[in-house]
Amino acid sequence: MILNNIKYLFLSIMGLAVMASCNNDDDMMEPIAMATCNDGIMNGSETGIDCGGSCEPCMTAVDFSGNYTQVDHMGRPGINTVFGYDMEGQPSVKDAHNRTIPSEMATTFQAGYEARLEQYYDVYADLLGIDPAALNYENNILGQDAATLTTYLAADVLEISPSLPTTYFDPGTDFDNDGRILVPDGDEVALTGRRLTDDVIDVSLILLFGGAEGDRFDGSDKNMDGSPDTPRLTSDGVALTATVSSSFPYVGNPE
Amino acid sequence: MKKTKLLFGLGLLMVAGAILVAADHIDAPSSMGTSADIADFYGFEPSEGSDNTVFVVDLQSNVLPDLAYGSFDEMVLTEINIDTDGDLVEDFVIQAIPRDGRMYFFGPVTPIKTGLDSEVLVDSPLGSVEISGTTAIKATTANGVTLFAGPRQDSFFFDFFQFNAVIGGMAPGGFKTADEAVDTFEGKNTMSIVIEVPNTLLGTPTGTNALQLPVYKAWVTTNKKQ
Repeated sequence: MILNNIKYLFLSIMGLAVMASCNNDDDMMEPIAMATCNDGIMNGSETGIDCGGSCEPCMTAVDFSGNYTQVDHMGRPGINTVFGYDMEGQPSVKDAHNRTIPSEMATTFQAGYEARLEQYYDVYADLLGIDPAALNYENNILGQDAATLTTYLAADVLEISPSLPTTYFDPGTDFDNDGRILVPDGDEVALTGRRLTDDVIDVSLILLFGGAEGDRFDGSDKNMDGSPDTPRLTSDGVALTATVSSSFPYVGNPE
Repeated sequence: MKKTKLLFGLGLLMVAGAILVAADHIDAPSSMGTSADIADFYGFEPSEGSDNTVFVVDLQSNVLPDLAYGSFDEMVLTEINIDTDGDLVEDFVIQAIPRDGRMYFFGPVTPIKTGLDSEVLVDSPLGSVEISGTTAIKATTANGVTLFAGPRQDSFFFDFFQFNAVIGGMAPGGFKTADEAVDTFEGKNTMSIVIEVPNTLLGTPTGTNALQLPVYKAWVTTNKKQ
């Protein structure tokens, strides 16, 4: 009996509350609709569910019609820049790269990229006064010969692991403590994406000019005669200068 | 034979050297310096052990005078392609296109057709975000994707002028040492699109990289309205 009384009391309070809110609605039509751009229903001045009117525009109301044709492509950094080359009077290989699907890239571009890689060695053969035929690419830290490397790079995609730590390649980390900081031998993590801080140019240069241990053309003075033994081709010498953040959107405010 | 190739190669390198900028900045005659010119592409785990993947696409650049820079072009559709099974054919696409001060996103969804021609995937809207000025504005969709579009510092770093000297046969010593080298991109800006996606929307990759680690194979394209 007491319980019933309490129940009725509760119901009548609820009734008053409903009446009170109705009165509020009559007095002020807009406030409730204004505050609901994310309530999952179309109300207020909205022209769709939670969009239009005072909310953000409805995607269905914006004109996105038309056909779009590919004009640029990028996967890994620097591929088209470093390996693509155009000859006067010939169709542009660089433009062709930007309009080729990745599954056809290796077939289309590998031979040209391998020739281009050898040209870079010829530039230094000439500067050093060495017969170009005697100065050639040697297998890199991944054990790739010139054909394998250029086949790998010609398919211009960025490999990104969703489950492993990201590094384009970390030439300073010896994950398995075997003393070989540049040479992956089974348990290192590399080629798992590209962070804003990754020195992708140095990694690329090491793959192209570093040889099996990554130090072939590193410009160091190994014989201790007071001058570099080779040109310095495995690092461009610069590090990150931009501001980056550990929180979204990660890239720094514009200068 | 080799000598002929060498001379030919050197001539070539010098001609090409005049316009070379990396990573993908100004990479080819047709796209170079246009509003559709891709400058860079990044893909990473935002923090160690995160269940999300971040894609950053940089378009345009003010690294040299007279390049398109400063506003996204409504005629240009940007498309992030993601191959999950290693066949180099996209299994998912994410699209971004600006309209009237907002960047609209679509996907990630399996495209009806793959290849060089696209339409906006209007049946798979993801969400939109106001294009930022100097302060970043972000939006998060109901399925947990975070979106950004606007001008940002160019995070790329490269001594590009010395690179041109190197490949042009003008630098017997090669690149400069750290105390002499100059980052051509220091203080330069680009137009960034950033999207952080829960990995569950893309699935587990079965494709692998050169070290046999499981990876998505991703690439970005820009596509011009015909």
